[in-house]
Amino acid sequence: MPDNFEGFIRQHRNEFEEEGPSPRVWSALEQELTGRRKGKVISLLQKNWFKAAVIAVLLANAGALFYFTKHRQPQQQELAVLAPDIQEAGVYYTSRINEKLQLIDAYPDSALGLDSAARKELELRNDTYKALEKELKNNPGNERIRAAMVRYYQLKLDLLDKILEELHDKHVAPGQTKKHYEAEI
Amino acid sequence: MKASATNLNQTPLAAHIVERCKKGDVRAFRELYEAYSAAMYNICLRMTNNVNDAEDTLQEAFIQVHKSIHKLEREASISAWIKRIVVNHCLNTLRKKKVYFEEVDEVEVLAEEGIDEAQFTWTVAAVKSAIHGLPQGYRTVLNLYLFEEYSHREIAEMLGITESTVKTQYMRAKEKVRQIVKQQNVTR
Repeated sequence: MPDNFEGFIRQHRNEFEEEGPSPRVWSALEQELTGRRKGKVISLLQKNWFKAAVIAVLLANAGALFYFTKHRQPQQQELAVLAPDIQEAGVYYTSRINEKLQLIDAYPDSALGLDSAARKELELRNDTYKALEKELKNNPGNERIRAAMVRYYQLKLDLLDKILEELHDKHVAPGQTKKHYEAEI
Repeated sequence: MKASATNLNQTPLAAHIVERCKKGDVRAFRELYEAYSAAMYNICLRMTNNVNDAEDTLQEAFIQVHKSIHKLEREASISAWIKRIVVNHCLNTLRKKKVYFEEVDEVEVLAEEGIDEAQFTWTVAAVKSAIHGLPQGYRTVLNLYLFEEYSHREIAEMLGITESTVKTQYMRAKEKVRQIVKQQNVTR
């Protein structure tokens, strides 16, 4: 006898999935993970993770011409042929990311903090990005890599949103410029 | 398994992220978490039947993932490895709530007379609701078999009961779901 119940579940398996966990899970997890560490660099990250991240992103921004034009342009051209949809996603996310970087850039350095961990963070992210691009070029049809590439952009965007949120909460209301902020202090 | 849980599985990128995690890179661990947390949270939600327990269990499970990731072998399936840790934590959560998985007599579970599935209007919401209302033991077995795709033998090992008990519990759980959905069809 055919089992309609099991068949129904298998047929609609994905519809049974709900949204992921709330952000509080990662926040608690991150606190737990970083709190357990004793290293100086990690301690700095624990206290000022968002500042470190901001600096990492700012450094990325400073190197944007190098990264997104000199190096990435030829790759974009290649990707445009190999994976046009990913190329399109890349243009979209790069634009949004740059908008947020500009907002963050309006804050003075004193509001952001600076430590060696930031540079390390930056290096690691670059490694990931390069690894992704390399894999994508070698396997342009691989859905998992394509999805991971998009996910990478999304994560970066999420991170920038979080940084901006922290900066706005702690320092200045959204919409105010660096000049306004400096006038206040 | 939902695609989100397998995006990174057994790719060179996944190996790269895992290697960074092994070196203590919290950012890499976040990437791992982002890739798998949604699918793993759904397991927790199905197993614990409760949002707060699901989130707490997910958090505990990922702490375990972080602690144990150095043991993960290069060729192993990351998603299967994480999933097993998550399921074990779910079972621990249930045990803390005094949910016990006991042997039952092996009896044939017959489909209730008059249940003609062809006449049913099956909907995801109705089935979810029916599963949500199952006794915890039934729900656990049904979830592990149907949604998490473990074999009867694997489930028996996890729960510390015999394979025949797992089969019986599963059949009973299915019948219960059918009855509830049927009732929902009747009262509609």
